[in-house]
Amino acid sequence: MKVWLLTILPLILFISSASNARTIEVEVYGMTCAFCVDNLTRQFNKMESVSKVDVSLKLKKIRLETDEELPTIETINQAIIDAGFTPIKVTILPDEKE
Amino acid sequence: MKKNSLKLVSSFGYISLGLGFINSAYSMGLRSFVALPVEKGGSVIRFQLEQAKDANTDTLITSVAYGFTGKQTLLLGVPYRLSPTGSNRQGDVSALYRHIVWQQDRFSGTDRLGLLGGVVIPTENDRDPAVQAGFVFTHVKNRHEIDIDAVYQAGMESRVDSARYDLSWQYRLSPVEYPDWGITQEINSVLELNGRWNEGSTMTQQLTAGVQWIHQKWVFEGGVVNDLNNTHDRLYLISTRFHF
Repeated sequence: MKVWLLTILPLILFISSASNARTIEVEVYGMTCAFCVDNLTRQFNKMESVSKVDVSLKLKKIRLETDEELPTIETINQAIIDAGFTPIKVTILPDEKE
Repeated sequence: MKKNSLKLVSSFGYISLGLGFINSAYSMGLRSFVALPVEKGGSVIRFQLEQAKDANTDTLITSVAYGFTGKQTLLLGVPYRLSPTGSNRQGDVSALYRHIVWQQDRFSGTDRLGLLGGVVIPTENDRDPAVQAGFVFTHVKNRHEIDIDAVYQAGMESRVDSARYDLSWQYRLSPVEYPDWGITQEINSVLELNGRWNEGSTMTQQLTAGVQWIHQKWVFEGGVVNDLNNTHDRLYLISTRFHF
């Protein structure tokens, strides 16, 4: 029984954590090459609440996977400005389970 | 005195060309500035090896860029002559501040105008300082990038004035189209027209052709510079830069 509980507990915790995670998509203008966007990924990787950063040079978007606490729109915009780019639109993607 | 300084400038040859004009950290051109940013708190280091064929000199130029903000960058450059050995191997330190004063980002690219200002700090007692000022303009649209920069150095005391310009066109050869998500390596061709002038001589016009291999964390690039007039020397460039 104990072994079974120890096996299932991390799984429950993971599902619980994942259910609070959110994905934020930000349209960013000014991203022009692979080396340049490293600026941007570094800015977001500094944020504790951001667990993953994806970049699309084709769509001019970045996608942030966040933990429980969402960064504010102001924080996101400032990070983009600090990286030298222009934030256009921030969208919180709907949770697929909702 | 000015003539002595001219000799000094001449003996330094291409080293002097790099003094006040370290390339931008995010330079897409081989020899030109661009207005692409270094992020707030970010740094880039670049090592560039230059070999002048006829002058028979090898020079290592180390450049560092630090971003105060997304629009304000400090650029430092120090050339060092690897060969021939002897005296005066250490070139002067260039410190430049770049402020992007106008920026228009679009879906297809960006236009940016930056102003440059700074000093050249001599590393030997027998050399004098200079002040320098100029501008840099960058236009990026889809697979094309054009960078234009011009800088004037006003020598103090016995140091001669100098100036330069760079007109650079880069074309992304690969990938033709970016993937939907994720960063891929890029290969660019580079073609540049450059001009280098020192007081008392005519401007040396140069044609530069090269290739860049761009990774998310580093850039590796090389090229050949041909003087179109004056000494008709040839210069080989190879450089790498890292973001940290």
